Amino acid sequence: MINVLEVRQLSKKYTKVLAADKVSFDVKKGEIFALIGPNGAGKTTTIRMIATLITPTEGDALVNGFSIIKDSAKVRENITYLPDEAGAYKTMTGKGYLEFMAGIFTTDAIIAKEYIAFATEICGLGDRLKDKISSYSRGMIRKLLLSRAVMTKPALAILDEPTSGLDIINALEIRKMIKTLASQGMSFLISSHNMLEIEYVSDRVGIISKGKLLIVGNTQELKEKYNAVNLEEVFERVVTDHEVL
Amino acid sequence: MKFFNLFKKEVRELLTIQTIMTMLISLLAFYSIGNLMGGVVDDLEEKATEITICDFDNTEFTQGIMDTMRAAKATVKTVELKSDDYVAELKELGLTELIVIPEGFTDMIMNQNKLGEIQYFSTLDTLSTSGTISKAGSLAGVEIIQDAVKKTLLLEKYNCADERLLETSVIVNETTIVGDKSAQASATELSGYATMQGIFVPIVIFILILYASQMIISAISTEKIDKTLETLLSAPVSRISVLSAKMLAAAVVAALNAIVYMFGFRYFMDGMVGGTVEGSSDLGAIIAELGLKLQSTDYIFLGIQMFLTILIALSASLILGALAKDVKSAQSLIMPIMFLAMIPYMLTMFVDIATLSPVVRTVIYAIPFTHTFTAIDNIIFAKDALFWGGVAYQLVVLCLCMYFAVRIFTSDKIFTISLSFGKKGKKRNAGAAE
Repeated sequence: MINVLEVRQLSKKYTKVLAADKVSFDVKKGEIFALIGPNGAGKTTTIRMIATLITPTEGDALVNGFSIIKDSAKVRENITYLPDEAGAYKTMTGKGYLEFMAGIFTTDAIIAKEYIAFATEICGLGDRLKDKISSYSRGMIRKLLLSRAVMTKPALAILDEPTSGLDIINALEIRKMIKTLASQGMSFLISSHNMLEIEYVSDRVGIISKGKLLIVGNTQELKEKYNAVNLEEVFERVVTDHEVL
Repeated sequence: MKFFNLFKKEVRELLTIQTIMTMLISLLAFYSIGNLMGGVVDDLEEKATEITICDFDNTEFTQGIMDTMRAAKATVKTVELKSDDYVAELKELGLTELIVIPEGFTDMIMNQNKLGEIQYFSTLDTLSTSGTISKAGSLAGVEIIQDAVKKTLLLEKYNCADERLLETSVIVNETTIVGDKSAQASATELSGYATMQGIFVPIVIFILILYASQMIISAISTEKIDKTLETLLSAPVSRISVLSAKMLAAAVVAALNAIVYMFGFRYFMDGMVGGTVEGSSDLGAIIAELGLKLQSTDYIFLGIQMFLTILIALSASLILGALAKDVKSAQSLIMPIMFLAMIPYMLTMFVDIATLSPVVRTVIYAIPFTHTFTAIDNIIFAKDALFWGGVAYQLVVLCLCMYFAVRIFTSDKIFTISLSFGKKGKKRNAGAAE
């Protein structure tokens, strides 16, 4: 299967902290890959490098064959990124926001309309899209942003804590939506510290701790390998083994 | 007890290190400005006791007047003029004020039963109040001459003690010099009009600087805090486009404000002051003749200066906005710009910057906003070198600010730098941990 994302020895060092240390993994077409780890593990740093927001100190990553260092503009045409706890422009209406973002991704009015129609359909906000975002609940904003992140049907959608702030019902809807879109060929790179969510939604996971990607594998395989009931136990054992070593 | 707990929490929330630092910097700024102004006022007071006289009459009576001046603790300096072109002579002697007592002055009063006439020349070269203060000495000298003549006429000639009987003792022919032009008009009245212009424009500039800065700091910091900037910069759009759009939008809004304020200013001047001027003889024509009224081209030059200042404020605010960590720190980030605008704003109202000591003058001129606050003074009094030098300096500062703003915006720093006043202090790498 074709690799949509190839991460090779990606490192990021801040003044004193090595936030990502030679991280390598691949994401295939139509695959949901999850980076899991505690707060401060290096998930967001890795994701931000892939989203071309920050420059790696070492290594590279290819999105659809384009380097995040050399072809960052091309990379941005192939991805969308949803940051954790992101907001939206409060003075805009939901529809206005979708129109604005569609205009950023394309100058073709017909394609933009298609993007907006798709986002309107999947966000499920109905008539509330005509209201100002300032009147939205946190869950509504998250749904709007998620629909924005997938409306262009990018080769790779990068979602940082996609269901943070959502109630159980909304979170379930979002997970289903991600799975449906993946089955249609969209690839996802998801970051979360909610291991149970990841276990349900992802095809493969990468466990990251203290900037190092410790292990990558299929959820079921990992559970069998570590004789664990769930992904939380796998995570605990992987991190403990790594610390012992 | 519960109230005390609540009160303590509120004080802690409000009295942060940022707040304390702001207060200390304010105190330091006001102390420095106060000291500077104090020094200038002392110099002006010293200058205000100086009276320069050219006594063509040179009689016992005029010598007596000068003795009266000296008795009033004035420093009387006498000069000799070689030609009738007093304006040229004044310039050659490097004087800003001069009282000329013409030949036959005593004779006219004592023997011909005519009013005495003197000439008072003064130069108008600044809109700051220091210009008016420095003229106090010569104006007092004119009053002393009037009083002396009055007393002589009343006591020696008419033997009468009621001063009210003589309304006018001496006719004072005032000539005001502005650059190469001069006109028969009172410097006090003219400077009153000019000062009105000089007071209103700095207020507009001060408001615009703060308005534009607040606008861009809040725009950048909100985008950063809400992470809408991350969304935008991961989309297929160049960072320079995002930056330019923000700058241009803020500049357009600020320029609109500038235009509205400038129209308001014109109406204000034409309505309030213009009416007064037109009502008082032909002072309006003299103001125009001396170039004290801003012309259309002057408004364009002033507009250029204002626009440059706004752009500098915007580009500096881009850098400051990028340092915001949260809403509270974003609010504090306006402080450096506020101080840099407040110092020249207050100084230029009271002091002619050109008269300050070289070190202080250099420091004040190093603040880019100073050149806009002095712009109207420089335009009216044709201080072209200062005006265009200021524009050139502002362009350099603008380029530097833009360079750093672009550097921050096109690098990781836009996401990683933040200004922290906590125990760790200094800049830190936000997001480094995650």
